[in-house]
Amino acid sequence: MADFLQNCLDGIATGSAYALLALGFTLIFGVLRRLNLSYGPSIMAGVFAGTALYTAFNAGLAEIAIATVIGAVVVGAYIERLCFWAIRKDMAVASMVSSFVIWMQIEEGVTLLFPDRTYAFPGILADAVVEFGPFFLRASSLAMLAIAALAVLGLLGLIYRTHFGLAVRAVSENPEAARVAGVNTGLVTLLAFACASALGGLAGFLIAAGDEQITPLFGLWATFKGLIAMMLGGMGSIPGAVLGGLLLGVVEANALWYLGVETRDLIAYMLLFAVLTFRPGGLMGQAALMARRAAESRV
Amino acid sequence: MLELHSLSKHFGGVRAVDDLSLTVGQGEIFGLIGPNGSGKSTTVNLICGVFPTTSGAVVFEGQDITDAPSHRVVAAGIGRTFQNIRLFGDLTVWQNLWVAQNSVEERQTGWLTRWLGGQRRGRDYAGELLKFAGLADRANELARNLAFGEQRRLEMARALAARPKLLLLDEPAAGMNAEEVSQLATRIRALRDHGMTILLVEHVMELVMGVTDRIAVLNFGQKIAEGAPAEIRSDPAVRTAYLGTADA
Repeated sequence: MADFLQNCLDGIATGSAYALLALGFTLIFGVLRRLNLSYGPSIMAGVFAGTALYTAFNAGLAEIAIATVIGAVVVGAYIERLCFWAIRKDMAVASMVSSFVIWMQIEEGVTLLFPDRTYAFPGILADAVVEFGPFFLRASSLAMLAIAALAVLGLLGLIYRTHFGLAVRAVSENPEAARVAGVNTGLVTLLAFACASALGGLAGFLIAAGDEQITPLFGLWATFKGLIAMMLGGMGSIPGAVLGGLLLGVVEANALWYLGVETRDLIAYMLLFAVLTFRPGGLMGQAALMARRAAESRV
Repeated sequence: MLELHSLSKHFGGVRAVDDLSLTVGQGEIFGLIGPNGSGKSTTVNLICGVFPTTSGAVVFEGQDITDAPSHRVVAAGIGRTFQNIRLFGDLTVWQNLWVAQNSVEERQTGWLTRWLGGQRRGRDYAGELLKFAGLADRANELARNLAFGEQRRLEMARALAARPKLLLLDEPAAGMNAEEVSQLATRIRALRDHGMTILLVEHVMELVMGVTDRIAVLNFGQKIAEGAPAEIRSDPAVRTAYLGTADA
C-alpha cells in the first residue's frame, strides 16, 4: 500500500507534465478540430534552444526556461502558418499529413544543428529530496508539479475568465458564428496555438530538467504522451486533459514499479484501449459528446 | 448607407446573384423578398464577406467593404442573424453576447485590456440587451437549453451586442407563431426608432408588408421590382414570380 501511494505521488508529478502536453493538444484541437502531430517536435526544438544556451553560455535556469518556451512558440507559429493557416477548412487530413512532414523537417534540422544526439540539460535542485512522513518526492518532481499546477490554473483562468478565452471557446464551437460576432478567428487561432506552444515549451523544460538530458527523439515521445493523455481525458475537453495526464502518470508509475519498464508503455496503451472501448468520448469528453449529439438531433 | 453596385455571385454556371444594385437609406427598414433560391441569403452572405463576390461592389457608409473578412464587416457596423440559428450552445446566454462585444470595445480600450478584461463589464452590458430581448431571467442558462423562439431572440441580441448601425435579419420569423411574429415586428420598429437601419430578408409576408418602408424583389438572382409595400403588392411581375404562386 505504501508503495502504491508512493508510486501515485511520483505518477502525479510526471502526470502534471503530461497534463501540460495534453492541454496544448486540446487547445489546438479545440480551436481547429485538427491534430497537430508536430506539437512534440516543436517542443523538442524549443528544448534544444534551451540546451544551446546552457552548453554555449552556461545560462541560468530562468533564461533556459524562457529560451525553451520562446523556441517552442516560434516553431509552433511556423507550423500553424504552414500546416493550418495555409490549408483551410475541410482539409483536416491534409493538415495532419503536412504536420507530419514538418515533424520530419524539424527533427532533421535539429539533428543537423546538434549532431551529438544526446545533450545535457540542467536539472532543478538535482539531488534534493523532500520527505512527507513515510513518502518522499524528488525536489525536481515537486518543482515540476508546482509549476505545472500554476500553469494549468493560469490557463483555466485565461480560458474561463477572460474575453480571449471566451473567443477561443466561441471559435471552438462555431467558427462561422464567431466571425459574424466580430471575432478575428485567424488571430484567435494563432494566439491559441502560441499558448499551446508556450505550455508545451514549459512542459518540455520541466521534463528535460527532470531527465537532465535531451535527444531529438523527445519530439516523438512528447507527441505520444500528449495524444494519449488527451484521448484518455476526452478530445477537446480541458478538464479532461488534466485528468488524462494525471491518470497516465499514475498508471505508468505503478506499471513501472510492479511490472517493470518493458511493460510500462504496454499498460498505458491498454488503458487507452479500455477507456476508448467503454467511453469512446474519453473520460470527460463523453458528456460533451452526448450533449452535442442531443443538441444536433433536436435541431 | 448601404449600396450594392452590380453585385454578382456565380456558383459554377448558377447565377445565384446577378447584377444586383440596391441602396438602403439611413434609418430605413428595407425588405428583400423572393421565392426560394432567388439569391436573398446569398446577398446577405456577400455583404458579410462569407464568400468572395464574382463581381460588383459593396459600399457601406462610403467605405468599400467588398470581400472584407467577416470580423471587419462587423467592426464597420454591420450585424446579422442567420436563417438557421448559429449560437454558441456551450456558452451561457450572457456569454454569447459578451463574445460579440469584443470588436467594438476593442477599438475603444485596446485589445489587450479587452481580452484580459474580466467578466463584470460584459455582464452589465449584456443585461440591457437581454431585457430588450426578453431574456433577462435566462442570463445564466446554457444557450443550447433555450427554446426555439428564445434562441432566435438571443441571436438577434448577439447581433446587437456589437453595436451595429445596420442589422441584416435573415428570415428572423422562420418557425415563429403569429404572436411571436408580432413581437418581432415591435422589436424591429423599436430598433429603427433607436436610429438603426434594417435589411430584412423574409418569407413571412405579413411581417415584410407590415414593417418595411421599401421592398426589393429578387427572382433568379435578379431584382425584378423595387418600391413601397403597396406598390410591390400590386406589381404584376412580382405577382407572377412570387405572390402569384401564393394566390393560386
